[in-house]
Amino acid sequence: MSEKQRSTKALGRRLIPYGLLAPGAIWLIVFFLIPLYFMGEMSLRSGIPNTPQGFTFSWEFSNYTDALAGRGPQIVRTFEYAGAATIIALLIAYPLAYAIALKVHPRWRLPLLFAVIAPFFTTYLIRTVAWETILADDSPIVSILKSLQIIPNDGRLLATSGAVIAGLTYNFLPFMILPIYASLERVDTSLIEAGKDLYASARQAFLKVTLPLTMPGVIAGVLLTFIPASGDYINAEFLGGANNTMIGNKIQSTYLEQSDYPKAAALSFLMMAVVLTIVFIYIRAAGTEAFVGSEEEAR
Amino acid sequence: MISKRRFGALVAAGAALAAATVVAACGGGGGVGGADTSGITVAKGGPASGSVLISNWPGYVDPGANGTVAQFDQQTGLKTTYKEDVNDNNTFFNKLKPELDQGSSGGRSLFVVTDWMAKRMYELGYLQQINHADLPTVFQNILPQFEKSTEDPGRKYSIPWQGGQTGIWVDTSKAPEIHSVADLFNPKYKGKVTMLTEMTDTVPLVLQSMGKDPDTATKDDWLAAIDKLKAARDSGQIRQFTGNDYTEDLTSGNIVAALGWSGDGSLIGNPNAEWRRPTDGCDLFFDQAVIPVGAPNTPAAYAFLNFVYTPANAAKITDYVQYVTPVNGVRPILQKEDPKVANDPKIFPTEQEIAPCSADPLPAGGPQDVADVEAAFQEVVSG
Repeated sequence: MSEKQRSTKALGRRLIPYGLLAPGAIWLIVFFLIPLYFMGEMSLRSGIPNTPQGFTFSWEFSNYTDALAGRGPQIVRTFEYAGAATIIALLIAYPLAYAIALKVHPRWRLPLLFAVIAPFFTTYLIRTVAWETILADDSPIVSILKSLQIIPNDGRLLATSGAVIAGLTYNFLPFMILPIYASLERVDTSLIEAGKDLYASARQAFLKVTLPLTMPGVIAGVLLTFIPASGDYINAEFLGGANNTMIGNKIQSTYLEQSDYPKAAALSFLMMAVVLTIVFIYIRAAGTEAFVGSEEEAR
Repeated sequence: MISKRRFGALVAAGAALAAATVVAACGGGGGVGGADTSGITVAKGGPASGSVLISNWPGYVDPGANGTVAQFDQQTGLKTTYKEDVNDNNTFFNKLKPELDQGSSGGRSLFVVTDWMAKRMYELGYLQQINHADLPTVFQNILPQFEKSTEDPGRKYSIPWQGGQTGIWVDTSKAPEIHSVADLFNPKYKGKVTMLTEMTDTVPLVLQSMGKDPDTATKDDWLAAIDKLKAARDSGQIRQFTGNDYTEDLTSGNIVAALGWSGDGSLIGNPNAEWRRPTDGCDLFFDQAVIPVGAPNTPAAYAFLNFVYTPANAAKITDYVQYVTPVNGVRPILQKEDPKVANDPKIFPTEQEIAPCSADPLPAGGPQDVADVEAAFQEVVSG
């Protein structure tokens, strides 16, 4: 092999990582960064909706303050719903993933995992609409809850905040279960046994060995649930009432009903900023190591 | 059968929101958001041939193998693609707007939107004018009361497709005494009442219940009506603002009454549901067929309108759709073929009945006022 051939080959090898990154990077640039730029530009335009003049760029920062004005309760509500759905999903998902990964006979794992993702075979919208029937005022579930005095006699489930949170939890549950399952499944059970050999109780072994080893899965699951849940508007639209709307509903109607593109863009940006801040704080608190997993855990 | 508005709108909304930013990247850079009204053209007539794309609301014609569209193709030799992709006036408009700005209609030669939206589109320069000479059957058969239009006085750009009334659907077994829009605000029915997300349906009816004529009401009147709605929302009186899906709420017994459209009976699986014209108001909307700028096959669009204005063809549509027809001669045909439809006052209201109706008007004032009122209403619906 000549010197030249060798150097071309070395160059080629150095380029491989970039080649592998390229499809994703191009995708992100074309479908995320460029639209993001135009959305930012749109959010600083001014004008009257539905006029021939349209919107012109004018550094209209007041779009941001206007978009926020009076929006406080709805923003709080949005993160309350998303936060509650995330916590409930975590409480359901961890024991379930634990049982599938470590407790049941291995031959049951595949059917159980299939059951977890089975709802995905139906579209998101249809599943949510189906919940309207399940939670309807005259449905058996509501009658049972009424006879148990869990909800008052003149109460209801549909068109309440509870219904929105339940819908969010249900729709995003698989995103919580799968990462937790993946990290539980990788846990080396001999480490747990070693803990027990060192006189750890089952509880201690879980808290000191299993849980820390599966933190990357928990954190990934929380992010995969919380982020889409806080931007969701389908659940609030179908399962919520007139007083249960989320920011997503507002963005949707500002854009598509009011044709007020600058304000819709400003509100989307603000929403993105808030979610990014929350995620950033969360990752800092949890530690990046827990997020990406350390060398040790990866093995 | 009729599933106007809302359900598909949500799917479209998701897609449109996703596309919105990309579209902004492609077409929105110039800073100008509308077309020039001075350049409005008259849609070209002549012998129709080739293929044509028409967009309409779901269930507004029988698209089946022996339906209206198929018969049209058979009779004319045209190849029609009939899309039911109009689910919500505003959503459809905002989805199509970037293309219309470029002078293209996305391949559509004809589509159907409600009067006020047709007017808005025309004023933005998105529609072509119609040459009456190319629509002989239409102007021969159109009922005089529907040829008149406050929005489009000379029928310059819009031809009535079908109309209907907005009123109250009542579950007579649970709330037989609801007869007016004012009754919907009775605390007795707290949380058991829904209203419509379409501003031009809901607010004019509330205005009339407050003793105001929507056609002459001021901006402040509109805002006062919206305040009334807001108070009713905050107190939990209004359970939800809906599109078509109030029909499901009525079917499953979640509500006792709803603002709703007269043609939706087939969607409500509740034998006790009854449509009532409010005693304190009346709203008659008409959806209009329009020819957009950039329409590739305007002769075919004319041909289709002439076809559906032939009484026999129009009767078939009315029998299937059960909305108000603008075509003369439909009722006698249906009296023979389907007397139940022919004698339904929702489908064939008398002139006296519809005379006091408002026609889905937009609020008074200029574009800024309309935008303000729309924003206030959306704040109640989705704030």
